Amino acid sequence: MKLLLVEDDAEAADYLKRALMEGGHAVDHALVGGDGLRLAAGEPYDVIVLDRMLPQMDGLAILRAVRAAGVQTPVLLLTALDGIDDRVEGLNAGADDYLVKPFALSELLARLNALARRPPPQDVATALQVADLRMDLLKRTVTRAGTRIELQPREFQLLEYLMRHAGRVVTRTMLLEAVWHFNFDPQTNIVETHMSRLRGKVDRGFSSELIRTVRGSGYLMNDRA
Amino acid sequence: MLRSTSLRLAAIYTAGFAVAVALLGVVTVVATRTALAEQFDTRIRTEMAAVKVDYSEGGLAHILEEIDERRNNPGELSFGVEGAHGELIKGPLDRLHPPLGWSTLRRGDHTLRVFAQTLPDGSHLILGEDMARMGAVETSIQHAFILAFALVMVLGAAGGFALSRAVARRLQAISGTAQAIIDGDLGRRIPVAGGDDDLARMAQTINRMLDRITGLMDSLRHVSSDIAHDLRTPLNRLRQRLEQSLRRASEPEHRAQIEGALRDVDAILVTFAAILRIAEVEAGARRAAFRPIDLTQLAHGVADDFAPAAEDAGQTLAPVPAPAAHIIGDPDLITQMTVNLVENAIRHTPAGSAIRVEVLAAADAVSLVVSDNGPGVPEAERERLFDRFHRLERSRSSAGSGLGLALVAAIARLHRAEVQLSDSGRGLRVTVRFPAT
Repeated sequence: MKLLLVEDDAEAADYLKRALMEGGHAVDHALVGGDGLRLAAGEPYDVIVLDRMLPQMDGLAILRAVRAAGVQTPVLLLTALDGIDDRVEGLNAGADDYLVKPFALSELLARLNALARRPPPQDVATALQVADLRMDLLKRTVTRAGTRIELQPREFQLLEYLMRHAGRVVTRTMLLEAVWHFNFDPQTNIVETHMSRLRGKVDRGFSSELIRTVRGSGYLMNDRA
Repeated sequence: MLRSTSLRLAAIYTAGFAVAVALLGVVTVVATRTALAEQFDTRIRTEMAAVKVDYSEGGLAHILEEIDERRNNPGELSFGVEGAHGELIKGPLDRLHPPLGWSTLRRGDHTLRVFAQTLPDGSHLILGEDMARMGAVETSIQHAFILAFALVMVLGAAGGFALSRAVARRLQAISGTAQAIIDGDLGRRIPVAGGDDDLARMAQTINRMLDRITGLMDSLRHVSSDIAHDLRTPLNRLRQRLEQSLRRASEPEHRAQIEGALRDVDAILVTFAAILRIAEVEAGARRAAFRPIDLTQLAHGVADDFAPAAEDAGQTLAPVPAPAAHIIGDPDLITQMTVNLVENAIRHTPAGSAIRVEVLAAADAVSLVVSDNGPGVPEAERERLFDRFHRLERSRSSAGSGLGLALVAAIARLHRAEVQLSDSGRGLRVTVRFPAT
């Protein structure tokens, strides 16, 4: 993946750049917003990682300028502000995702992967298929190898998110935001409790395991069984 | 009405004034009566002296002539002359046979004040006046005083009411400001109208006191959120370094230690996030995001989301069916509040406990109730439960930032809701009472 990192904290940027390159990504780094804007407009990147608090030029202003220039590259906004309004403001300015500092590296990697391979928005599938697991989005039914699986509404939403992100790691925080719409971190691990019930229904008694726990990161739905 | 101090004072003042007017009336009537009686007697005495002069000049015949002459003068005294044996000589005061000297006699429905004297020829001269004339004066004085009394009462009551309304309005401004501050609008101050009376001075003093309190609270709040904010950057770097070390470390023991350190850093970050969130809520800026919420639907959703977690802990968590109940609020914050209350119940009750989530709608309020049948909280501890970092002795060792309920309290204040802790018979019952929309 080719990434642009716009971050003013040199030490943090240095660390991130190294970690991302170790993960096999190509990373360009801009310390100030102006450089970031020039790079974003001139080079084709898979994802732009933009710090919101930049000297000289506010991260949101850069984001708006990038979007105004017609650049459709997905943008992940990094910020130390985690007020609810800040999040809404960031997403309204054209960010595709929002990550509050400090974060685990695995969280950043998972989100970059999710953004880079985002399905095109005109994709209006009525069914999802992963291996022998099939989800009918209109009838709200799930079958695996022809056997009907009964799910609670929340379990259905959880499975839908996993299937849409098949082959990519999804983190606990991503699931809390997307499935539960919680913009805070509950202290009870409700993702885990729901996931274990979902796996009991989707995987137990079948030949292969579709949902896998990725230690220290999150969950992964195998796209090749 | 009488719960207003100023109105009560005005009523007492008016009543006192009315009593004074009534006393003055009584004194005036008595004094007038005495003065009039004296005046009557004096007049009779003077007239008697004059008649005696007439007698010495022209004898009885002259007197009788005088009497006839004066008879038709208005306001004239009444005369009468009786013979030595009571026979009629001259009217109209004949045949009264009064004793000699002063007497008060009744004649028909009139009362007469009479003076009788023996003339040298043995006949009796009687002079008298109808007391009805005195009564008329007395009655008009009484009427005047009754009118004055009524006027004093009406004017006193109206004036007292108007004055007390003015004072009550100013007092209302003070208590209204106090209530707004209790509700979280710390910027409110008492309007100080022109003038330099005691109420205006008190308002200024209270405003200065509020400025001082707000200043102290601001610096206190800033201290905690500044610390939380400033420490995030170094903690961010610390976390990155630990992650980097973890990626390089291969020895299992080494890795376990680094992972433990990462968990500690994350726990600190959770606490800081909670402090900053409380500060955000207390700043009150979130009111802009208020919109109608179906509290029943929201609470039931949270109960459903946490039911599996409760089940894994051997507890039951169930929503109590209820119709939709709307409040005005911030959906994200109300969700977080409900989650914190439910998590609190899950964490502080043993396996086998039952946790209930219900929404009660009344005419004036909509209440969110989370109750359990766990060990409960001693009454003395309940109030402190909502203080920041307060934790019960027995839960010191368990996880949690100690800020969950402080955040609940802050969110409730923002929504002008009241949080009550009570005994659920067995266990704790938390009620968040939102004013009806």
